[in-house]
Amino acid sequence: MEGPSSKGVLGQLSQLEVQARSRRKPPQPRSRVDGLKAEAEALTMRREQLKAEIQTHASLQKLRMSLDKQSTHEEEEEKMDEDSENSQILQLMARHAQLTDLLHAHHLIGGYDIIKTRNSKGVCVSMATAYEGVYLDTYNLEVDLKPTLRIGRHNIPPFIPLDSIAEQGNMQTDIRAFLDSLSRHLNAFAGRKQQLKIVKEQHKSVEVMESNVLCSILVLMFTVPRVKTIVLCTLDYSDHTRCLPTRVCFECEDKELLDSPEWKKNCSLLTETPVHKALTTMTKMGNIL
Amino acid sequence: MNEENMVEEKVLQAQIERLQAEVAELQCRQQDDQKDMTFHFRGEMQDALSYVCGQRQAGVKEEEVVSKLEAEVEQLEEDLKRQTQMNGVSLTSCTTKTLRRTSRKCVQEFSVSGHCFDLDFQVEFQISEFKQGQRSERTISNLNVVIDAGDLQCLGSFLSGVEESSDLLLLFRTLRTFSDRCDDRCRTFQHFQEKYPSIVSLPGGHRSEVMTLNHPELPGCVLLIHWSVEVSREGGVTPKINLLTKIPERALQLFPSQPVGGAAEAFQSLLRILGPEAAVESLIRAVGLSQDTDVTSEQR
Repeated sequence: MEGPSSKGVLGQLSQLEVQARSRRKPPQPRSRVDGLKAEAEALTMRREQLKAEIQTHASLQKLRMSLDKQSTHEEEEEKMDEDSENSQILQLMARHAQLTDLLHAHHLIGGYDIIKTRNSKGVCVSMATAYEGVYLDTYNLEVDLKPTLRIGRHNIPPFIPLDSIAEQGNMQTDIRAFLDSLSRHLNAFAGRKQQLKIVKEQHKSVEVMESNVLCSILVLMFTVPRVKTIVLCTLDYSDHTRCLPTRVCFECEDKELLDSPEWKKNCSLLTETPVHKALTTMTKMGNIL
Repeated sequence: MNEENMVEEKVLQAQIERLQAEVAELQCRQQDDQKDMTFHFRGEMQDALSYVCGQRQAGVKEEEVVSKLEAEVEQLEEDLKRQTQMNGVSLTSCTTKTLRRTSRKCVQEFSVSGHCFDLDFQVEFQISEFKQGQRSERTISNLNVVIDAGDLQCLGSFLSGVEESSDLLLLFRTLRTFSDRCDDRCRTFQHFQEKYPSIVSLPGGHRSEVMTLNHPELPGCVLLIHWSVEVSREGGVTPKINLLTKIPERALQLFPSQPVGGAAEAFQSLLRILGPEAAVESLIRAVGLSQDTDVTSEQR
């Protein structure tokens, strides 16, 4: 079979075969290369997107700082370069962000978060309460503005005298004075309630004998160390807009104890500092357990 | 061919690794950026951002994005006006910095400046937010208050108390009430200066605490109204109005039936019954300082 003629035909055939085989192999590494190319392209797109976002963020930041400086009169209003791309959108975005932050700030400082009610006849007001840096409950109320100012739905507890506050505060003529007065009541209540909570949590050796929902009366039982005498202490918070008691009185079988300078000091301590802080001081001084 | 592919593969893989490193670095930079100024990309802001970064959806035109954003900005401006009016305080700037952020805790630092009537303030504070289940607890700390106004001795002890207890809400409630009371005083003083320009003078300007009443015919006889607004450490705002008299000996002899010493107490009674404006008005008429004798005789 091997002769010059077979080399010719067979040789050509086998060459063709080799060529055909070599053409079939590349598809495998070819698809791998395609996959890698796709991945590289996707990564390149992501990189460009991130670069664009970072660039935009930087522009927005610059615009925003300029806006802030204009509001505090540190800078004069600049004429924005109208030709730069997207300048109008960027300006709007910076202003949008500034307004959002200012509204958030109003909320954080305890603002009334006033919004119009759906039927536009009134407003909905949020009252935030806080004590010693801790944000506590938020109360809401609806006030109808037409035909007259009238309190609608609300979640203010019943022991807060809403109607008499409205009357005293002249709600009809000065809604802000009414809201301010209500806020004082609610914040004082939240403060007294928080003080009671801390007393129960942190002063286990002091027994809370009596308290009411408004937290305007508090009766505590102290134990004097060493002698184990019992002192009953009544704290009367008759001014409901305050977190401090208007009257402090002690009851004890040992009358001499109450006349001692330490207990006179305890009395003024309880009148001038919030009860949980006063108790801490009294415990440190060794006056109570 | 094989070799060619292998070379291409190696080149691509190297490129991919470089790109991955670049992307990671950019993501890091983006996270750092977010800390210094918070932009909330939601709703129209998100659409606008996508537009600006070149990821436009088919057919979205610039005018559309602009008009939607403008509408939202208008809404926000209205909201801000309403808040400013109701809260009685005008905020001019608020900058935020994120100090720490994990899935459960977020600590941010705020710097807020503004004014409450004519009291300029700059307040810095930190807010920490803890997520505990469905509830989240927010606390304020590191409160620092700077107030720029003329004479602020009355606010001194209140401000240091409020910084100690981080009571941000009490600070603003009290500032507002204090401003209101100062404004009452200012309006009343101005009212009397306009009504009786020859008698009333405000030596310290209408923002000051003192109004003097000079008798037009009796030089040296001066009535001083001292109106101070005190702020207790607890945040209680109390206006205190006192009458002081400066009357020379010889003039005292002319008014034997009017015990000058009792004038201050008498004024306090007037204040209790009539309120500041009417009390001062009565005082002016009673001491004969007013030219309006007809009205005075009517009162009798």
